[in-house]
Amino acid sequence: MVETGHFALVLAFALSLVQFVLPLVGARTGDARLMATAGPVAVTGFAMTAISFAALTVAYMLSDFSVLNVVENSHSQKPMLYKITGTWGNHEGSMLLWVLILTFFGALVASFGRNLPATLRANVLAIQGLIGSAFFLFIIATSNPFVRVSPAPIEGQDLNPILQDVGLAIHPPLLYLGYVGFSVCFSFAIAALIEGRIDAAWARWVRPWTLAAWIFLTGGIAMGSYWAYYELGWGGFWFWDPVENASFMPWLAGTALLHSAIVMERRSALKIWTLLLAIMAFSLSLLGTFLVRSGVLTSVHAFATDPARGVFILMILVFFIGGALMLFAWRAQTLTPGGIFAPISREGALVLNNLFLSTAVTTVLVGTLYPLVLESITGEKISVGEPFFNLTFGPLMVPLLLAVPFGPLLAWKRADLWAASQRLVFAFGGAVLVMLVTYSFVDRASVLAAFGIGLGTWLVLGAITDLATKSGLGSVSPGIALRRFAGLPRSAYGTALAHLGVGLTTLGVVGVMSLQTEHILTMKPGESVPVAGYEIRFEGLQPYRGPNYTEDQGRFLLMDSSGRTLTEIVSAKRFYPARQMPTTEAGIATRGVSQVYVALGDAVDGGGIVVRIWWKPLVTLIWLGCVVMMVGGSLSLLDRRLRIGAPAKRRKRLAAAEATA
Amino acid sequence: MVFWIVLGLLTVIASLAIILPLSGSRREVAGAREHDIEVYRDQLAEIERDAGRGLIGKEEAAQARAEIGRRILKLDTNDQNGGHVPRDNALVRGLAMAAVVAVPVMSWGLYSAIGSPDMAGQPLAERLAKDPASSTIDELVARAEAHLRANPEDGRGWDVVAPIYLRLDRAGEAATAFRNAIRLLGDSAPRWTGLGEALMAGSGGVVTTDAAAAFERAAALDPADPRPKFFLATAKAQEGDLVAAATDLRALLSTLAAESPWRPVVEQTLAQATAEAERRAASAAPGPSSEDMEAAAELSDAERADMIQVMVERLDERLRENPQDAEGWQRLVRSYLVLDRRADARDALARGVTALGTDTEQARGLTAFAAGLGLGEDQP
Repeated sequence: MVETGHFALVLAFALSLVQFVLPLVGARTGDARLMATAGPVAVTGFAMTAISFAALTVAYMLSDFSVLNVVENSHSQKPMLYKITGTWGNHEGSMLLWVLILTFFGALVASFGRNLPATLRANVLAIQGLIGSAFFLFIIATSNPFVRVSPAPIEGQDLNPILQDVGLAIHPPLLYLGYVGFSVCFSFAIAALIEGRIDAAWARWVRPWTLAAWIFLTGGIAMGSYWAYYELGWGGFWFWDPVENASFMPWLAGTALLHSAIVMERRSALKIWTLLLAIMAFSLSLLGTFLVRSGVLTSVHAFATDPARGVFILMILVFFIGGALMLFAWRAQTLTPGGIFAPISREGALVLNNLFLSTAVTTVLVGTLYPLVLESITGEKISVGEPFFNLTFGPLMVPLLLAVPFGPLLAWKRADLWAASQRLVFAFGGAVLVMLVTYSFVDRASVLAAFGIGLGTWLVLGAITDLATKSGLGSVSPGIALRRFAGLPRSAYGTALAHLGVGLTTLGVVGVMSLQTEHILTMKPGESVPVAGYEIRFEGLQPYRGPNYTEDQGRFLLMDSSGRTLTEIVSAKRFYPARQMPTTEAGIATRGVSQVYVALGDAVDGGGIVVRIWWKPLVTLIWLGCVVMMVGGSLSLLDRRLRIGAPAKRRKRLAAAEATA
Repeated sequence: MVFWIVLGLLTVIASLAIILPLSGSRREVAGAREHDIEVYRDQLAEIERDAGRGLIGKEEAAQARAEIGRRILKLDTNDQNGGHVPRDNALVRGLAMAAVVAVPVMSWGLYSAIGSPDMAGQPLAERLAKDPASSTIDELVARAEAHLRANPEDGRGWDVVAPIYLRLDRAGEAATAFRNAIRLLGDSAPRWTGLGEALMAGSGGVVTTDAAAAFERAAALDPADPRPKFFLATAKAQEGDLVAAATDLRALLSTLAAESPWRPVVEQTLAQATAEAERRAASAAPGPSSEDMEAAAELSDAERADMIQVMVERLDERLRENPQDAEGWQRLVRSYLVLDRRADARDALARGVTALGTDTEQARGLTAFAAGLGLGEDQP
């Protein structure tokens, strides 16, 4: 079984080369039969990769310690779920997952791309094949998960305990679906450059792929953030760690692409810029893969460091990014540029969004790469952390977020800013009210907290205003408005929900950053401490034995001010003997959208233990907001709305009427 | 045999994926222009749908129709590179042939170079279920482990598996097994000696306080056993008290029979201890000076402990100033471990690795040294 998987991997590599060469030559010479090979070869390549991945997974499930990869990353006593997720909880397996998803997307393009022009379809699949063959070669040459050992050891070295969590089942697959999803946009961009023309179908096709990749990436990043939050025991949700930035940059570029693709669909404008963004989104994904996989950065994600791997990925990176940009420089001027348009219009607002997002990408890129470049040149180690990003990224986001509610209210072609502002009066009033309430009742100390919460409210109410305006609330009777609301295109819901999600996430981030409280104290059993209107009592420590670990569980009771027990919080310190590693398991109790977070420190003399307790107001909104964004993206993906702008006359009446349409 | 059939089948499937489309009928390829018109037709249909639903006004619908119409007209005027004309090309046919041949040749060639077709899969459950006579020692231990997990109160089992763990260099598990055997079956000199050895192996050969206590217990239970006495003397030598160590070793030697297998080991260690004592007398550095040692000899236990702490701090400080000293870092890590200050040892290891340069030979040496003392890699 193992060797069948190994052979299937080699076969998939051979097929990926065929998938690159034959369709490309076919598209060039106009040979229909050569082009026709693209689809079946892509689907078969996916099937072979799936067989290969399944073989590795089975080896993990059965604890086949004749496979080196299983020995290094598994343990026979591990729960079954972690045996399965352990398949991609290591460098080799995660690269296999990477190509599995890549070939999966190739197969999807092959299956659903029948209505694409034959040459475009052939070129797109050829580029997918090229990307695939580069990564298959990387796996076979430097990171083969099917290396065998003889004689086989009887026990494995276990998976890094931090990774033994449900998070590993969700975070990497989602993140990879996002990263690799952008490869399809990239292939479309390169195919357009090769052909020297952009078909009308181009934008129609690129946008759903961007949306799909963006949804998965949003989920992957949010899941990673929540995982770090509860697993690392510091209670932080984002650390501006280079590895996090590596996933955040493609997200920002993808968000920009998402918006510029709308302009391209509707108005046939911004074509070349959209093409460039499609290239950038995947290039940043590749950069992320390089940063994480090469061992340039030491972190929990750098499973193993091997210079050969780093150099290999660097070569892949240089080849694809450099090649794509050269092709872009060479061919971009042969593409017909789109029309020009007025600054105050929907498309103008989308360009503003793009400007801010691409500046933000650059900021994060500089903050991430500068320390690495500096270290490699001068050997000096510096760390660019939160202060840098708070000073640069923060101020960039504020005007963008302030402008978000205006965007969807502006009409295409020529819009009326004043009319849009009038409609936003309720949202603005609500935001100011919340701001004042926050300032005077909740937190007198910080103007920033009040402003941030006001900003979040503004976004949420702005999104609701958008839907209300589109259904004509206020200008038609409630019954008609309700009917119109139900008949709105899904993309309208999608836009509003995604923007609402951004608002919720903003509220969560601001709430935690400005209003959280921290208590560090030594507690003995029976003692209690007041936290944010609750009472937390330490019941005592209890030893507990898990399947492959032992732990000391600290039991706490969360009580309200009158002494009624609300829930029990269990926070633990675990020890995994196979890796001789301790981990912390934070105890978390959710009250509404806020959380109480308890982490155990070291025991002190006399039976006490150091306990860190955080009150994290609104914290769950950070991830709930991301879920709402994902739902919004999914609704948009399901929409089959009008793909072309309904241009309005210059008269104001019509502009207003259109915005309500 | 089944394996080869599966491989052949996979190859056939892969080849068919190329051959079938190549041998398909020679269809005319629709040009990009037809596809564009298809898209615009679809867009026009959507406008009608939305106009019918009242989502866009009549005038906007008309304008949108006009804009799409303009795009279709533009297509007609500047469409020069319409449908591709299929050409029969020798190059193309050659390429197709090459691809059909390349897939099996390349996959079988590459696989025969990197694969291990003769190795069957070895699921753990299968390995543990086979006849014990043909099992390896690892498999037997795994089987015993499974038994002990199910019956953790089986003292005999722990007693049997403990010395095997020790021989397999699985020190931590050996210590646990000896402790369990003592708990369930009671004191015995070999068990306590075994526990001491396991603890010693776990800390990289250093006789820790716990290990020394175990050896003392064993020596009290069976005064005739030379092993605990030998290790206790070793402990003294490790603490730097070479004279006392030599005395104990000499006493031990006098009790051993002439044919005892322990004789050569003890003699050798005694010779080493004596030589080391002489060398140290000759040169005071490195390490504690002879004045320090003399002063230490006169102090009470608590004072001596304080003094050791001070000396370690001094070493620590010196390394902060001159960090390029691989040996010094090793000494510091070991000292902290002996003092049972694991956190400090871990910190010293991290600082040492940073100071020596993460990827240097010396840093790796230090990490390996620390690992040998039972100080695993830090969690990232």
